[in-house]
Amino acid sequence: MAATLCSRFLPKQSWLPLAHAVRHGSKAVTRHRKPVHFLKQKLLAVTEYVPPRSEGCARNPRVSHTQQDSRVVAFLSKQVKATFQQSKMIAVVQNNSTTAEDMLMLKHRLRKHDIFVKFFPNQVMRDYLANSKYSNMELLFIGPTVLFVSKEPKVKEMLQILRGSPQMVLIGACVEDTLMSRQGILQYSQLPSLATVQGQVVSGLNVLTSQTAAMLHRHPAHLSALLQQYLKQRSEGTSEVGIPESQEATTT
Amino acid sequence: MNLLLKSVCRGGPAAALCCRSVACGGVVMPERTKLKFMDKVPTLKKVRREMKRLKDISGPERKLNTFTTGHYGIVALGGGYLHWGHMEMMRLTINRSIDSRTMFAVWRIDAPYKPITSKGLGKRMGGGKGAIDHYVTPVRYGRLVVELGGHCELGEVERVLSEVAKKLPFPAKVVSRESLAAMQQEEAEKLLNNQNPWTFEQIAVSNMLGIRKVLSPMDLRHHGRFAGKFRVPGRV
Repeated sequence: MAATLCSRFLPKQSWLPLAHAVRHGSKAVTRHRKPVHFLKQKLLAVTEYVPPRSEGCARNPRVSHTQQDSRVVAFLSKQVKATFQQSKMIAVVQNNSTTAEDMLMLKHRLRKHDIFVKFFPNQVMRDYLANSKYSNMELLFIGPTVLFVSKEPKVKEMLQILRGSPQMVLIGACVEDTLMSRQGILQYSQLPSLATVQGQVVSGLNVLTSQTAAMLHRHPAHLSALLQQYLKQRSEGTSEVGIPESQEATTT
Repeated sequence: MNLLLKSVCRGGPAAALCCRSVACGGVVMPERTKLKFMDKVPTLKKVRREMKRLKDISGPERKLNTFTTGHYGIVALGGGYLHWGHMEMMRLTINRSIDSRTMFAVWRIDAPYKPITSKGLGKRMGGGKGAIDHYVTPVRYGRLVVELGGHCELGEVERVLSEVAKKLPFPAKVVSRESLAAMQQEEAEKLLNNQNPWTFEQIAVSNMLGIRKVLSPMDLRHHGRFAGKFRVPGRV
């Protein structure tokens, strides 16, 4: 009777087949689902089937996000295009938690040198750059980025102002259709102005010709110098003769 | 016993004309198209009581799990015993619905041969083994129970077969040649493309963490896919 009573309580969730199984365990094949030992449950959980990851599924969800707000996106991309056409210098700067006050001061200082601060979403920038000739700039637009644009390439002033705000990190710039890294921008700022460079170029070109002219003139110059010296000596000699003559004249 | 000659289908220009074997999608109508009557009791000279041997229900069916002559059938998705009542139900339902000129049905199980004893109601324990009460046929997971064929489509036979499948003592499913092959191939593929580096077989066979204390010899054989007569779903 105890056996039959116990058999009713078998299919409980928390019942463990430990001591009871020894007394009157059921056979291997039963009509009911036998309670599974906890350790066997763990083993089954560890050895579950893991399907292979299909690559197509992972890529597809990203595509749908760009379909939202196509009108806003179109407007922004037009603005981006306009800025790229108008400005000669476009610097990409990463701003790490700049306060509104600091941003305002920065904008004021830059505005004095006619440098504008532009904010565009990275996705819009990347879409525009992919289709334009600036496709190599796409890599710069990762993370919180800000654009410094200006019509004249005023790199030195920009660097001086950026030195004042340490949290703005200059990543790269496109100056007159030339993409430059941070080191490139520093070197560009250290270049002298155009007039001096032109003068240097002209003088450098003239060096050869001036040297040849000097070499050609060396012999006649030497000759004329010698003749002059001779004349001088002669005049000194006559004057010496003359002086004693005059002295004689005076004395006599 | 009928010896069916397997026709080897070779391709080529003549294939379309002369290749009409069942393997190529052709239809070969047998002599008797309806399901034949199954005896309740096998004709034996000596009647012997047998042990339970419940292992004839557990685990997968390895041999009799593919189609022979028919195109549609019922496949068992669990283990169990079929007795004469089930067979009569199947026979009558199917014979009523098929058109004997265009369709045929074939048994894929034997008549009941395993004796099941019973002590009778109200008897106390002891006094020896009981007398034979009835006979059953054991069926494992993956076994084909009955096959249908002929000039018919799945849509026509699916209704009848699904009605029959519901009444069987184990879960069963209506399949066609293609769907059964697809099912079996999917299971085989899952074995190969499983990304989990840990498998039940590996851990059980090498007795990692002494897990064999809580496993049975059946787990070693069936790798955790079967629990008694039930197929554990989702196990590879």
